[in-house]
Amino acid sequence: MTVTPAVGVAGLLGRPYKTIRLEWSSDLHMLRVRTCVRPIQCYSLAAMGELQQMLGDISANPGLVRHFVMSSDVPRVFNFGGDLALFVLLVRAGDLESLKLYGKRCVDLVWWMENAANLGVHTTVLSQGDTLGGGLESVLPFHKVIFERSAQAGFPEVLFNLFPGMGAWDFTIRKAGFAVANEMILSGRLYSADELHYRRLVDVVVEDGQGELAVDKIVRDIDPRHRGTLAALRAQRLAAPVRYESLMAIVDLWAESALGLTDRDLRLMERLARAQARKAGGAEEGAVEELKLMELEHAWGERRARFDRRNVSHDRRVRS
Amino acid sequence: MLSFFAELVTRTDEDRRAFETHPVIVDAVASGMSVERYRALLLELYHVVWHFNPVSAAAASRMNDEWMPVRHFLYEHMHEESGHELWVLNDLEAVGVAPEAVRSHAPGVHTLALNGYNYWAADRRHPCSVLGMLYALEVIASVYGGPFAAAIRESLLLEGDHGVSFIGSHATLDAQHMAELRQIMNRLHDEEALAAVVESTSVNFHHFTRIIEAV
Repeated sequence: MTVTPAVGVAGLLGRPYKTIRLEWSSDLHMLRVRTCVRPIQCYSLAAMGELQQMLGDISANPGLVRHFVMSSDVPRVFNFGGDLALFVLLVRAGDLESLKLYGKRCVDLVWWMENAANLGVHTTVLSQGDTLGGGLESVLPFHKVIFERSAQAGFPEVLFNLFPGMGAWDFTIRKAGFAVANEMILSGRLYSADELHYRRLVDVVVEDGQGELAVDKIVRDIDPRHRGTLAALRAQRLAAPVRYESLMAIVDLWAESALGLTDRDLRLMERLARAQARKAGGAEEGAVEELKLMELEHAWGERRARFDRRNVSHDRRVRS
Repeated sequence: MLSFFAELVTRTDEDRRAFETHPVIVDAVASGMSVERYRALLLELYHVVWHFNPVSAAAASRMNDEWMPVRHFLYEHMHEESGHELWVLNDLEAVGVAPEAVRSHAPGVHTLALNGYNYWAADRRHPCSVLGMLYALEVIASVYGGPFAAAIRESLLLEGDHGVSFIGSHATLDAQHMAELRQIMNRLHDEEALAAVVESTSVNFHHFTRIIEAV
């Protein structure tokens, strides 16, 4: 179904969205987007459809939006990433086509961010809480990434035998280098805002509650230098390009790997989904705490396996 | 062009999400439920499972040879699902409800609405509507059944599959069913059938949510 692009600010703000809330600052030509995929803040198909619709409207109105700022309306969560229940459904159904389609929709979103400077738009993202998997992938192509100090992020996919497939490799390598991408993606561990800043994935870390002020300051600092900044950012992306073909090839690989997940892997994914539901239901502990537990179990499993291997080789030596 | 199954997943994703994100479902998956509510749920579930095969049979009986692969798929499926209402009976017994009490239990209005719709849709809407019932109930079992069974085990201190054999085992059983369902759906290329399956999926998710909400 083709939807007619919105015209002007009224058209842009006038659509009846369910998962995003839009605000317009006319002095800065700034569009604030706050995501609220309740109760579990993730990239559901509907949320991605609405984001794509809104980004399409920006593209259809060149020169209208100068600053694009995204944050979350859900307390303590920026985004949990992929829709885990949908993944479980598609993997159990063996539906490669839909997994690839889901991946393509994610890539189309990060690809828009990657090219925002070409549309005359400077992009800023503010994370005030858990930013996991696809949630972290989605912030990496933004021009400025701000984290409040207690926000945590990581790529936990390896803990259930998968990998982040919607831009994690390309964007992490470009921002932080190959070694950091390797470390983050292959360990599955979570990182504090300061650790991410140290690795150059996050540009600014502010105290909790100071994120909105930081956004305002950054946008107002850039605004007088908007044209030059965007020209420089376009050049930056020519110097270190990310290719759409590479992103899509990785999506294909991701979808094929997802189909190979075992029942145990899916149960771990379900465990994480259950933890997300707990936090959505008001519990203190949620996905982040569950991931820490999984990391610990993983580490203990490895330690135990090493211990068992040592004992086996010791037994063999004794016997020989 | 998307395959039939991919179209169905996409067009009904919000219905699935509405089920998944309903506060009562979120709470049940995260923390389980009291034994009284679990008993009430199983009592309703018994009547849903009891009608599963008769609805499939009603749909199959209305499929001419144009729909032969679907009809044959339903025969196989009915064979596999045969007797599963007895698993629910066993689970009820494990949590203290005698079989006589189950058989004399009158299903609630939402269960009646769910079963009534499924018979009506197979008879009057389109025989392929039954695929929507299968899809919705198998998504519920294979995607949410595992975490829900784990939550029930924890909250009611049940051992192994005792009391959760129906929900727990369908979480894995229905994974295979889902793959088979996708394969059979992808042999269809009929917009009218797709519309009927989408509607049926939507209605089944809706009524099933109401059933859980009401217990």
